[in-house]
Amino acid sequence: MSSVSFRKLEKNYGALRIVKGIDLEIADREFVVLVGPSGCGKSTTLRMLAGLESISGGEIRIGERVVNKLPPRERDIAMVFQDYALYPHKTVYENMAFSLKVRGIPSAEIKPRITQAAEMLGITQLLERKPSQLSGGQRQRVAMGRAIVRRPQVFLFDEPLSNLDAKLRGQVRTEIKRLHQAIGTTIIYVTHDQVEAMTLADRIVILKGGEIEQVGTPDEVYNSPASVFVGGFIGSPAMNFAKGTIRNGQVMFEDGAGIPLPSRSAGKTGDHDGREVVVGIRPEHFVPAGEGHALSGRVQVVEPLGSDTLIHFALGSSTLTARVAPEMRPSPGENLSIGVDPSRIHLFDAATERAIA
Amino acid sequence: MATASETTLVTTHNESGTKWWTRFLDPSERTLGVLLLMPAALLLTLIIVYPVCRLIWTSFQNLSLTSGVPATFAGLENYSLMLEDPVFWETTWNTVLITLITVPGALLVGLALALMANLPFNVKWPVRLSLLIPWALPLSFAGLIFAWFFHSEYGVVNDVLRRIGIEGVIWFNSANWAFAAICLTIIWKTSSFMALIILAGLQTIPRSLYEAADVDGAGRLRQFFEITLPLLKPAIVVALIFRTITALQTFDIPFTMTRGGPGTSTATLAMYIHQNTVDFLDLGYGSALAVVMFALSMGVTAVYLRMIRAKG
Ligand SMILES: Nc1ncnc2c1ncn2[C@@H]1O[C@H](COP(=O)(O)OP(=O)(O)OP(=O)(O)O)[C@@H](O)[C@H]1O
Ligand SMILES: [Mg+2]
Repeated sequence: MSSVSFRKLEKNYGALRIVKGIDLEIADREFVVLVGPSGCGKSTTLRMLAGLESISGGEIRIGERVVNKLPPRERDIAMVFQDYALYPHKTVYENMAFSLKVRGIPSAEIKPRITQAAEMLGITQLLERKPSQLSGGQRQRVAMGRAIVRRPQVFLFDEPLSNLDAKLRGQVRTEIKRLHQAIGTTIIYVTHDQVEAMTLADRIVILKGGEIEQVGTPDEVYNSPASVFVGGFIGSPAMNFAKGTIRNGQVMFEDGAGIPLPSRSAGKTGDHDGREVVVGIRPEHFVPAGEGHALSGRVQVVEPLGSDTLIHFALGSSTLTARVAPEMRPSPGENLSIGVDPSRIHLFDAATERAIA
Repeated sequence: MATASETTLVTTHNESGTKWWTRFLDPSERTLGVLLLMPAALLLTLIIVYPVCRLIWTSFQNLSLTSGVPATFAGLENYSLMLEDPVFWETTWNTVLITLITVPGALLVGLALALMANLPFNVKWPVRLSLLIPWALPLSFAGLIFAWFFHSEYGVVNDVLRRIGIEGVIWFNSANWAFAAICLTIIWKTSSFMALIILAGLQTIPRSLYEAADVDGAGRLRQFFEITLPLLKPAIVVALIFRTITALQTFDIPFTMTRGGPGTSTATLAMYIHQNTVDFLDLGYGSALAVVMFALSMGVTAVYLRMIRAKG
């Protein structure tokens, strides 16, 4: 087990800059999730760490060793691929045994290791089958088993759940978390699914266009998003955004309604007066009209979900979504009065889109 | 086959009490299927089944166009003649030897070429084109080109040998050297075909398998034997089937290079068939020889097909 660190890590394809200087320290035993939209360089970063892609600039360390020039087999990492990459002509047992055999581990030692890993993953009865005789979920488990038996310094996962259906995805997600709790090895996990990121990670790294947008615990990135991008990316349904201006300790929306500034930034009102901002409000942070600060808008669409109801309503030129108690069922076209807790709104600079402290 | 399933159809329809011709008015899916297969089946019957049957029939006849005698039934006479014919045994042995040497030879060279062509070159087309050229060249062209290559006085091979201080041989005067020259030519000519099929097989192997093997710690050689080769097996078997059958029918290259000489030392079964039917006009004996070649090809195909089925 080992720590991992990236220092000014870069990847270019010719003139194309894909990864633009990533600095990140990952502690031993930490579960770090790299998340971001398609094409932001998640896989590229992971593959540079694995040694499957050359490094254009900067440095990668695993433990104390700089691994920039080491081939994959000398980095002591194991990787679970998106398409699993199981060897189709080998049985499950042979797939799991391959890396051990290659490393010259005696077969007397290989067998108990595989048995143990297979038990942990519940694939004992599949050991004699070929990958083509397995379901997607079973293949996924075998791919994990192949990684586990190695007992590497670091596990790398590249979107390991994206080929599974929604239900299985939830199930395997829980298993991966349990696995990490059981073996404690450092894990770096790539996904574009913020739910996976939130549920699995000790720390989330949000990437955008080859740069780190924010690093933090799931609570930190949820409660204090560093930018409009992070606010919109983390959380479901997504955060609402509306344009506003700060005046006299209030955020004024385009249509003239206003909310008092959150108390944490109230002290600096003077600095902000007249500043154009983007206001972020999470759907789940709307409250019944009597509580908090009231806003009013026109109801457009109502989506009952059983556990709660989503109301889409117009406020000035923006459409906002509120998640409210299931009893609340306004009709489309109705005027809606709904409360906002001023302490839970997020303010971002309109020009830079960065959070205003 | 087509006739058999058609018979079944007729009976089923009669059992259900329908007139046979109603099938054409109200074609069920199976009837339609049979109808659509008909033209192909007929064509195959016409150009394959009929000539093969005709060939087998002729092989039981005394039919020599030079004798001026009408064909008579000869029973197994042609075949018993064959058993005592030393030229038959020699040409058959030459054919088998050419097959045993050039098929594995072309496989190895083809495999090496395919692996080279599959390397990540920046510009792929010159490599692929150079693979295609020997394959696209007519066999007899290749024979003529190499006959000149191996020419004792004007040939490239002896010239090169002379320059490095080795006295060349008169290739086509010696049975063994002539045979070697023919085998080398056949390997050159056919390995590009092997390479093309193997290259297609190589390209179906996902890159991620090699990446997984990299991470698992396997070196290049190990990856070749543990991943590439096992996954290429189906492509290799297909290539072997095609190559072996054409090797058993080897004709053009020895015909253009040596005419079978010196003596009959480099003549193949196909050349002997050609000689008997075209030069001597002895259709009965020639047909019997052809039946033997046909049986050899069928036997080899059956073995390979069994190999494929065992794999699947
Ligand atoms: N060989 C290459 N040459 C040029 N550009 C490449 C190459 N490989 C990847 N890229 C580009 O690098 C960018 C990052 O790719 P990467 O695979 O890291 O994205 P990702 O974040 O994993 O996205 P996804 O969620 O879709 O998997 C993409 O814009 C891609 O087009
Ligand atoms: Mg990716």
